[in-house]
Amino acid sequence: MMKNKYIRVLLVDYGMVFVLIALCLLISLLTISDMQPEDPGAARKLAASLVKEAGADINVLVVARTTAADKAFANALREGLEQGGAHVVGVELGDPTSLRKRLELLGQQDERLDFVATHDFSSKWRVLSSQSRVEMASLYPALKNLKIAKPPSYRWPTFLTANNLIGILNQNAPIAIMAIGMTLVIITAGIDLSVGSLMALAAVVTATTIQSYLGGKEAGGWDIAAAFAVAMGVCALAGMFAGVIVTAFKVPPFVVTLGLMMIARGMSYILAGGADAVKIEAESIGTLYSSSFLGIPSQIVLMVLLFIAAHVVMNHTAFGRYVYAVGGNETAARLSGVPVVAVLIAVYAICGLSAGLAGVLDVSHFGTGRPKAGEFYELQVIAAVVVGGTSLMGGEGKIFGTFIGALILGVIQNGLNMAGVDSYRQMVIYGTLILVAVLIDQLKKKVIKPTVKLAKTGEFDSF
Amino acid sequence: MAKHVWLPLVLALLTLGCSSEDASVIQNDNSQVDAGVDQGTEPAPAEGTIGYSAMSLKNPFFVIISDSLKQAGAEHGFSVITTDADTDVNKQANQIEDFISQGVDAIVLNPTDRLAIGPAIKKANEAGIPVFTCDLQCVAEDIEIAGHIGTDNFQGGELAGGAMVEVLGEEGGEVLVLDFKQANSCVLRVDGFKKVLDEHNASTDDGKITIVAEINGGGDQDIGYKAAADSLKAHPNLRGIFAINDPSALGAWQAVKEADRLDVIQIVGFDGELAGKQAILEGKIYADPIQFPKQMGQGIIEKLLAYQAGQEYEKITLIPTALYKKEDAEKDPELKAAE
Repeated sequence: MMKNKYIRVLLVDYGMVFVLIALCLLISLLTISDMQPEDPGAARKLAASLVKEAGADINVLVVARTTAADKAFANALREGLEQGGAHVVGVELGDPTSLRKRLELLGQQDERLDFVATHDFSSKWRVLSSQSRVEMASLYPALKNLKIAKPPSYRWPTFLTANNLIGILNQNAPIAIMAIGMTLVIITAGIDLSVGSLMALAAVVTATTIQSYLGGKEAGGWDIAAAFAVAMGVCALAGMFAGVIVTAFKVPPFVVTLGLMMIARGMSYILAGGADAVKIEAESIGTLYSSSFLGIPSQIVLMVLLFIAAHVVMNHTAFGRYVYAVGGNETAARLSGVPVVAVLIAVYAICGLSAGLAGVLDVSHFGTGRPKAGEFYELQVIAAVVVGGTSLMGGEGKIFGTFIGALILGVIQNGLNMAGVDSYRQMVIYGTLILVAVLIDQLKKKVIKPTVKLAKTGEFDSF
Repeated sequence: MAKHVWLPLVLALLTLGCSSEDASVIQNDNSQVDAGVDQGTEPAPAEGTIGYSAMSLKNPFFVIISDSLKQAGAEHGFSVITTDADTDVNKQANQIEDFISQGVDAIVLNPTDRLAIGPAIKKANEAGIPVFTCDLQCVAEDIEIAGHIGTDNFQGGELAGGAMVEVLGEEGGEVLVLDFKQANSCVLRVDGFKKVLDEHNASTDDGKITIVAEINGGGDQDIGYKAAADSLKAHPNLRGIFAINDPSALGAWQAVKEADRLDVIQIVGFDGELAGKQAILEGKIYADPIQFPKQMGQGIIEKLLAYQAGQEYEKITLIPTALYKKEDAEKDPELKAAE
């Protein structure tokens, strides 16, 4: 019985985690395909098996592209081959054109070439196709027996690669960060439609501040940080403004933030002087986006830290309890001494601030301030919060749930792209999955909640 | 309880992953390619994947590019993954990153922002994947584009100008331009249009054509309609309208019709999408310089093949437009099929 209760609590609070895991498994199954290794380890294996199969008396040309990873691959391949006693006639790092020139040169030198050792990507260059090799062999006898060697492929889901998983987190970090602010707003039974436009405003304010006031090309790291602060400050103020209108004049948040959404978008276009992005010439503008911490892009680190901070604030501080109280029953909260007005203004300011941060990240990513940034993002942000289990009625919701909600949407998007689903069907599937996710959440509450509520009331007594 | 449902799935996945890892040996791959050389006859079609990030699949123009890319690609053993950037550069950048993780052999895109898409293309460059642009060019610095194919928009604008001079005849008169300055291609169209009008005006004393207003038609039927309706009130002597694409031209036609001035005002559009061609057949639009999106997919594949074969090829190709008028529409099999 005890164990059963824990599972129930687990399902209610973290049910969406299972949805996420199920989605990941499903997409993994759908994206299983041939993986082509391009790492130094694969290169050494290839060298060893080539020498083993073809003997040491072979002349080999190592071929790869000019990228850093390919250089490592080519070096490992060359070393492996030379250790095995094979003769490496050269290492060609380049593209199909340079490879053709190299092969023609080797043909003219009339030195027998037995193998081109490379990875799958370059082996598919048509200059190495059997037809092209036949043509070259007819011109140059030295290339008559030219064969291709490449590492063997293995089956693995393209979805489940470190590169892709980090990519998903990185791509969805701005939305997830905005979703933190949105979660607070929605817990107070409000809504903020202005986040997408505020993101654009932050982007354009950053760009124009750097270009007009901080020296443009000469702007250094601190100047850029100052511009970021200005942009985020502007957005926090805009959010605060919305909060004031909502509380002082009792205007529904939907209408207030709808107005702010249009104002901020229009201001972005005005500041940018049109729809073209404002180019930032300062070199270190991309540092925030491109830097990483222990191999993890800084954007992801920032997102995780913010989620932890928000989780702590919402669960272990008076402010967090106030936010839940205002959303649960505003009158009751006011009567029991919660500073409702201050809490609401703070919540909208935080939401504006998080939109500002997303805008700053966008600037750092693209190196330009785009007045078109964040169009329709408010809907994605709200979807992430709702899929994460926060009720639009207010008073209920979890920061952790929002994190999972943002990931679920990101994983669906990525998975559909990976599985090659066309974009019209993607919209239908995307919409359906949002509905299903929310329905599951609702059903689960109806079926499982009664016992849990009893278990939980003790907690709520504490304030 | 529900947890146990996933267990078999996890196990299935793990076994799939493990069992396949030691399944393939180098010899298989090797001998396959070797066979091609020894016999020297069969040109084994190399399998490859192209990732295409389209500007917007809500616009039929890019759907045609996608289809032609798929068709031409299939003939040479390429499968094409099409994604919809929905005119959002952030989405497009993500799609390019996804293509890189998927390890595609080439990336094709219609840049949604000619500057801001630069960093994403740079990432593809760093991953060693060739990038081709189509329709719109990218102007960002220090990136490498393996090839571009698009429309010669300036030449198209000239044809539109010629059509306007022709239809207004000796009288000349006032002309409205519905532009879309956000897109560089549309700016070029208006530049070409103006060049021909300037030449015409320099060569004649009467019958000069003056542009009385250049306003934003949004490249969209609704915005074009509103813009034209307002201008019609402001310019009672208007005789011609040049719209930089078919939707805004059709919007302008609606406004002219409602103002009851169809008899005096002539419209020249651009693009030659099906709705535009239909409107030309019905006499709503006088003429369109038409683009050839079908040739673009084919052209990209040709460039990719040349790139992969290490052959010399023209990096940038601009396809000239052709003027399409009512007599062309009457002979057009595409329109007959639609009826």
